Amino acid sequence: MQNTVLVVGGGPAGLSAAATVSASGFDAVVVEKEEVLGGAPILSGYAKLVPSGEWAKDAIGRMVTRVVDDANVTIHTAAKVTRLEGEPGNFTATLSNGETVSAGAIVLGTGFTHFDPINKPEWGFGTFEDVLTTTQMEQMVGAGEIRCPSDGRVPQRVAILLCVGSRDRQIGREWCSKICCTVSSNLAMEIKELSPETDVFIYYMDIRTFGLYEDKFYWKSQEEFKTKYVKARIAEVTASGDGRLLVKGEDTLVKRPIVIPFDLVVHAIGMDPNEDNPDISRVFGVGLERHGFIARAEHYTNSCGTTRQGIYSAGAAYGPETIDDSISQGHTAGARAVADLYALVRKAG
Amino acid sequence: MAIHEKSLIEPERLLQYDDLVVDGVDVSGHWNTMITPRTLRDYDEDFEKTIQSYGGGEYVHRCWQCGSCTNSCTMYAQNTQFNPRYWIYLTRLGLKEELIKDKDIIWQCVSCNKCTNICPKDVRPEGVMKALAHWMEDEGITEKSPSTHFDEEFADQIFKTGRIEDSHVLMHFFKKTGQPLMQGWLVEFGKRMTKGLPIAQMLRMGLNMLFPPKTKSWGRTGEVLQQYVREQKEAAHG
Ligand SMILES: Cc1cc2nc3c(=O)[nH]c(=O)nc-3n(C[C@H](O)[C@H](O)[C@H](O)COP(=O)(O)OP(=O)(O)OC[C@H]3O[C@@H](n4cnc5c(N)ncnc54)[C@H](O)[C@@H]3O)c2cc1C
Ligand code: SF4
Ligand code: SF4
Ligand code: SF4
Repeated sequence: MQNTVLVVGGGPAGLSAAATVSASGFDAVVVEKEEVLGGAPILSGYAKLVPSGEWAKDAIGRMVTRVVDDANVTIHTAAKVTRLEGEPGNFTATLSNGETVSAGAIVLGTGFTHFDPINKPEWGFGTFEDVLTTTQMEQMVGAGEIRCPSDGRVPQRVAILLCVGSRDRQIGREWCSKICCTVSSNLAMEIKELSPETDVFIYYMDIRTFGLYEDKFYWKSQEEFKTKYVKARIAEVTASGDGRLLVKGEDTLVKRPIVIPFDLVVHAIGMDPNEDNPDISRVFGVGLERHGFIARAEHYTNSCGTTRQGIYSAGAAYGPETIDDSISQGHTAGARAVADLYALVRKAG
Repeated sequence: MAIHEKSLIEPERLLQYDDLVVDGVDVSGHWNTMITPRTLRDYDEDFEKTIQSYGGGEYVHRCWQCGSCTNSCTMYAQNTQFNPRYWIYLTRLGLKEELIKDKDIIWQCVSCNKCTNICPKDVRPEGVMKALAHWMEDEGITEKSPSTHFDEEFADQIFKTGRIEDSHVLMHFFKKTGQPLMQGWLVEFGKRMTKGLPIAQMLRMGLNMLFPPKTKSWGRTGEVLQQYVREQKEAAHG
C-alpha cells in the first residue's frame, strides 16, 4: 500500500501540493533541482509580489518554512528524477543523487524558464549595461536604490518594454505571459516610490492587467504614480552618444516614428516553457502541448491532470501562470494525488 | 528622384534648393527635393503639469486613449481633425509642437460635455479642451477669444471703480475686438430705452458715461483684489 506522493519542483505550485498531501495525512517527497526551495520568486529575487504587496522572501519564505518544518515532507534539493518506472499507484523514481522514491502518484510543479532577451538582440540586452530585465529590476528594487548600472547615476527616465519574449511569432512565442503587464505596472510604482524624480514610461501593445489587477495596478500606476503608457512596440534600442539610450519605434496613436532618449530600459521578459520539459516529458511519459508546456488533461472532470494517469501538474508548468493561481492549482493537484492514494486504500481494504 | 506627390506632405517638411550643382551635375529645383523625417525626438514631462494647473485640466493624466470622447464629440462630427483624444495624448507626452499645429481648431470646443459623460476614466475632456485653449491664449499662440476680452474688460472696471458701467464695457469690448461702435442693433436699443425715460434719469446716465462713478470708499480695494487674482494665477501656473 502506497502512502507517498512525489512532488517534483519546489516553487509555489510544488510547495502547496506538498502541504496539501501532508495535511491529508500522507507523506510527500519533494525533489527540487536547485539548492533552495521557493521557485522563481526566490531564485530570481522578486521584490514585492502582485497582488499582495508582500515581499517575496516573506510570503514565499512562509510557504517554504511550512514544508521544511513538516515531518511528513522529505526534501531532496539539487536533485532531479532521472528515471521513472512502474504504473499509477506504484511508481518508483530514481533520483540523480542515487536515491529512489516509491510513490502512488506524482505532481509536476516544474514551472517555467525566464525568456532570455539575448534572443532579441535589437532591444539591446547584453549590448548595453543599462538595459535590464524585470527580474534584475526586481532585485534592484529589493536592494532599495534605483541607479544606472553603467555609471551609478539616478535615471531621469526609465522605459519598460512589454511583451519581450511573448506574443512574437518571429521567435516562436505565440503566447501572452499573462503577469508581466501587472508586474510592470507594479514595478513602475516601486521605482517611483524609491526614486521620485524618475519618470517611468511603459511601451505596450495591449495592457492585460486582468480582473482586479485593473485598478489596483494599471489605474493606480497611471493616476497616482504618473506612469505614462505609450502605445508602441519598440523596434530597436541603440546608444545616443551621450551615454543615454535611444528607444526607437512607432507611436501608433500619433502615427509617427519615435526616437526617445532614456537612461534605463527594462525588458518585461516572458515565461518560456521550462527548458527541462523535453526531458521531463521523456522521463515521466507525459505529453507537451504545442508551445512546449506540459499538456493539460481535459480540465472539467480531470483537473490538474496530464496525458498520463496518476501524474498531475500545476502552476507555470502548464503555461504562464500567476503565483496565486499556481498555489491554488498546487493544492488541487495535491488533492487529486491524495484521492488516488485513498482509492488504493479502498481497493486494498 | 523627383518627388511628385508633394501635396501629401506638410510644406514645412519639404527641402528644396533652387540652384544646386552636385559633382558638376545640375540638380536644381525638384531634382534635389528632400523630405525631413517626421520623427518625434523627445518628450516634455513638465507640459502635462502645466496643463493640469489650468482649471479643467486636472485629470488629463488619467486618459488611456480609448477614443470614446472623440467618437462622441459634436465638433468631431463636423471636422475629423477635431480630436480630443489625440490632443490629450500630445499633452500627456508633452508633444507641444504637434499640439500647436491644431491651434486654430482646439478652441472650437462647444462645451457640450458629451465627452465628459462618456469618458470611462473620468478625464473630463471638455475641461482639458478649455485648459488647452487658455494655455494657448496665455502663451500668445492664439489670439484672445472675444469672451476672454469681455471678461478682462469686466474685471478691469471692477478693479478700477468697484462697479460696472455697461456702456464702457461695451465700448471697450468693441474696440478690443475690432467692432464698430455704432451698430444698428445698439442704436435701436438706445433709442427704445431712452424713449419715455424721465429727463433727470437721462441726464444721470449721460453724466455717468462721461464721469464713471466709483463705489464709495473703494480706495485701494481694487489694487488688493487685483494682486490677489495675480497671486492665485501664479500659484496655479507657476
Ligand atoms: C519578473 C517576474 C515577476 C513576477 N512577479 C509575480 C508576481 O508579483 N505575482 C505573481 O502572481 N506572479 C509573478 N510572476 C509569475 C511567477 O513567477 C509564477 O507564477 C510562479 O513562479 C509559478 O510558480 P511555479 O511553482 O509553477 O513555478 P516556478 O516558480 O518556476 O517553480 C518551479 C520549481 O521547479 C524546479 N524545477 C524545474 N525543473 C525541475 C526538474 N526537472 N526537476 C526538479 N525541479 C525542477 C525549479 O527549480 C523551481 O524551483 C512573475 C514572473 C516574472 C517573470
Ligand atoms: S501580460 Fe502584458 S506584457 Fe506580458 S505578454 Fe501579455 S500583453 Fe505582453
Ligand atoms: S465638450 Fe468639446 S470636446 Fe467634448 S464632445 Fe463637446 S465639443 Fe467635443
Ligand atoms: S474618453 Fe476619456 S479615457 Fe477615453 S480617450 Fe477620451 S479622455 Fe481618454
